[in-house]
Amino acid sequence: MSKRIIVMLIALTLLFSVGVSANTITLNVLEVMTSPERTALLWDLIAKYEELNPHININLISPPYEQSDQKATLMLNTNQALDVVEIRDYTVKQFVNNKKLTDLTPYFNEWAGADTLSPVAMASATIVDETPYLVPQAIFIKALYVRTDILAEHGITKMPETMEELVEISAAITDPAKNQFGFAWRGRGATMKFSDLFAAVYVKDLADAEYIYSEDEKFFLDPGFKEGMELYVKLYKEGTPPDGVNWGFNEQINGFVSGTTPFLIQDPDAIPLIDSLLGPDKYEVIPLPVGPHGFTVIDYGFTGMGIPSYSNHKEEAWDFIQWISSVEQNGYFNEHWGPLPVHSTTFELNEHFQGRHYEAYSYEMANPDVFLLKTYPLASEKWPGWGMIHETDMQSLLLNRMDLDTMLQKWDKYWTK
Amino acid sequence: MRQRSGRYFFLIMIPALVLLALFIYYPIIEGTLIGFQRYTLFDMSNTPFIGFDNFRAIFSDINFSFAQILLNTLVWVAVSLLFQFVLGFVLALLMQKPFRGRGIYSSLVFYPWALSGFAIGLVWAWIFNGQFGLANDVLLRLGLASSPIGFLSDPRYAMISVIIANIWYGIPFFAIMLLAALQSVPSQLMEAGKIDGAGPVRRLFSITIPYIKPTIVSTLLLRTMWIMNFPDIIYAMTGGGPANSTNILAMQMINKILKFYDYGQGSAFGIVIMVLLFTYAVVFLRLTSDKEETV
Amino acid sequence: MKVIQRVIRVVLLALFLVLSLGPLYWVIVTSLKGGQEIYTFPIRYWPSQVTFENYQYLFRISDFSTYFQNSLKVSLAASAGALLISLFSGYALSRIRRRKPKMVLLLVMYFTQIIPTYMLMSPLFISLAKIGMTDSLMAITVVYVSTMIAFSTIMAKSFFDRIPEALEEAALIDGCNRTQTIFKVIFPLSLPGLAAIFSFAFVNIWNELFLAVMLLSSNHNMTVPVALNSFISKAGVNWGVLSAGIVVALLPTMVVFAFAQKYIILGLTEGGVKE
Repeated sequence: MSKRIIVMLIALTLLFSVGVSANTITLNVLEVMTSPERTALLWDLIAKYEELNPHININLISPPYEQSDQKATLMLNTNQALDVVEIRDYTVKQFVNNKKLTDLTPYFNEWAGADTLSPVAMASATIVDETPYLVPQAIFIKALYVRTDILAEHGITKMPETMEELVEISAAITDPAKNQFGFAWRGRGATMKFSDLFAAVYVKDLADAEYIYSEDEKFFLDPGFKEGMELYVKLYKEGTPPDGVNWGFNEQINGFVSGTTPFLIQDPDAIPLIDSLLGPDKYEVIPLPVGPHGFTVIDYGFTGMGIPSYSNHKEEAWDFIQWISSVEQNGYFNEHWGPLPVHSTTFELNEHFQGRHYEAYSYEMANPDVFLLKTYPLASEKWPGWGMIHETDMQSLLLNRMDLDTMLQKWDKYWTK
Repeated sequence: MRQRSGRYFFLIMIPALVLLALFIYYPIIEGTLIGFQRYTLFDMSNTPFIGFDNFRAIFSDINFSFAQILLNTLVWVAVSLLFQFVLGFVLALLMQKPFRGRGIYSSLVFYPWALSGFAIGLVWAWIFNGQFGLANDVLLRLGLASSPIGFLSDPRYAMISVIIANIWYGIPFFAIMLLAALQSVPSQLMEAGKIDGAGPVRRLFSITIPYIKPTIVSTLLLRTMWIMNFPDIIYAMTGGGPANSTNILAMQMINKILKFYDYGQGSAFGIVIMVLLFTYAVVFLRLTSDKEETV
Repeated sequence: MKVIQRVIRVVLLALFLVLSLGPLYWVIVTSLKGGQEIYTFPIRYWPSQVTFENYQYLFRISDFSTYFQNSLKVSLAASAGALLISLFSGYALSRIRRRKPKMVLLLVMYFTQIIPTYMLMSPLFISLAKIGMTDSLMAITVVYVSTMIAFSTIMAKSFFDRIPEALEEAALIDGCNRTQTIFKVIFPLSLPGLAAIFSFAFVNIWNELFLAVMLLSSNHNMTVPVALNSFISKAGVNWGVLSAGIVVALLPTMVVFAFAQKYIILGLTEGGVKE
């Protein structure tokens, strides 16, 4: 009985809404880098947009971060109603391959914002086939976070400028009995982004390579790479908690905030987190130390928004995207979320990004001959599985279950066509 | 009368069978087929059948030794099951006789089963944390360890740690099921045993256990399958590491899908799991049901 | 001798309780700590300053009360559905005499437990997408019932196995039909078991994560585990809030359990024929 009433009510509501708001368009937006704060932020921005555009209603879908890529893929591949989808460096090639993204070139040509995109942002947008399939929303690059107060307690005031110095200082202050170590190790998740800051930058030829390594050009057997890896291993053995081999983002932050590991390499979205856990005054952010050849590599991660190829509301979707990607909104978004905004002008206009902790990132982006902008071959089929292989092998290496030469041979073989 | 009731029984099974067919069996057939296809997220429009290539790939994977994974799985299941069952049974026996406050006691001691495996993994990962963990703190204070142990970062301890979390999780299941079964043992039987002079231990093994055998059999079998198929705890605590030391079949299946974007190999692992469990179930059921005439 | 027995019993019971509650205590304490206090060394067993900010955050930033209601609706409905259906299928499986059909049906039930849920994910999503039943609480309820049926049936069968058929025969002779005997004879005698089945189904469904993430999309349809999982982001695990979430999410299942205890433990039946 009540079921019939419900069905009737639904029918009436539909009729009513169809009649009254015949012009309301609902856009389905899927985010993947979900976190409670960011979702709340997006709802704020969406509310603002809906106010300016009363005939648009936006439905934000926010699956939990760990399954969100899966969800995005499944939804796109079954043509679920979606008008805007968040795309990451890990998923862009796959979406393009499956022909699920709209080529945004015509939109970019008309968009004023395209001119103020920073070089990194533009590179991110066109990373597949040099065609813009997404509008970048945030850029992730790494810098070195330092607990200056802890270092001062140990009488260290000079900041490390090379990786070797970083290792030396870490080893010097390490005292396991007092639970004092140096470096916040990354043992789980995207481990190559940390190890390559040591290994890859020891290779002189890296400066001219297209990617940090790929099937076309790789350096695992280069003596420089091995030297860098040996330094990295030394850092683990002498300057890191042994537990680090299992550390993820969380543990890195814990270690940094508690003072156990006063050195931390991280993306800028760590800043608001550390500010809230530690307070903004106890730490500094400095540019990454360089390798022996005077350079280091900035692998840029990104996230952006694109339009599914089958969407029925492409014009409206684009209107929302270009609004939220404007200098002002993008600045506001990243100001509260943490990573870097995508327009170079934001750094000049938005005070927040002139803050002390962002200087290092600006500096890095402004000196591309020292901080080489290079990334990984995201379009290669070997890329998705590389993460887990790298992580497992690194663990074996550090736990003395595999020796370095064997590992390098193995990696070289993996990246061979 | 017998024949008509026979039909009745099959009739009332229909709702269950229909739902199972639609939402379990149909998808699983599709899922199984995927195991024989080249099915990666990279190219979803091109999924040809490739016979047993996926299986060849996972058996000979140089990055994640299949033999190691198989061994891990065996250890994970056997050790977890043994301790869960024994401890759960002990708890049920302890609780069998009513005592004051037993109702509250049981709500408090059984609640681990109410948590999701995922939450439990996180909680225990936190307890076993190498820096700020409760376990290390207790060990250090009691003088049982001189420096913090990296429970989850040392391959020697990682498997034990995840198993402990699993045991903690599974005890309530056995305790509740066995307690309910123990409640149903007729007091006349127990009286008869006492009159015959049998002590409590003898009564346990000669009267109680045989009487509740059906429950023991089904709980053991079910729990084995669940332990095999729910790597949530491992997923949350170690993700299969360090260095492949806690990687079990179900965990690697998830890794293949989430990290390598390879549904084909993922399904291949799934099929291996199903074959193993099926064999186990058939053997187990045959061994334990032959002794009952009226199954 | 009796005294020693009792002492041992009390000690063991206490030990089990401590081991069981220990981690919960730790989670509760963590949920009451402020962000800066969670990562201290040596660890503090009681917050120096009790704060409810994590709980406030939980209900402020996320729509937790909506998720809670969704989970409650789905879990209750699906558990009840599974219980009802398995009441019949469990009874049937218990009473069927012919060996072969019985083995086959048993195998059909047990076989579902062999299936790794993750294998179902993609095909299930695609099938439901085709009939537009993704993002529907009703659809996911039906799916959950299906996932619980096999287990519930198996358990029901094992409880019904212990009830002698003589009782039904007596009722049948008295003029009841089969269905009436189920409700008049079997059902009351197996209440403890049925309570156990209901509570297990409830807990499993309440805690189910992966299917909920895949099959539900809109914010107003979300369930509790999905919400909890969303406190894990690229920025790591938000420990204080997650702990608060775990505590809150635990409450209904603990209540259901507590309720089920009463039935199981009051031991409504000795399950036997009184001679």
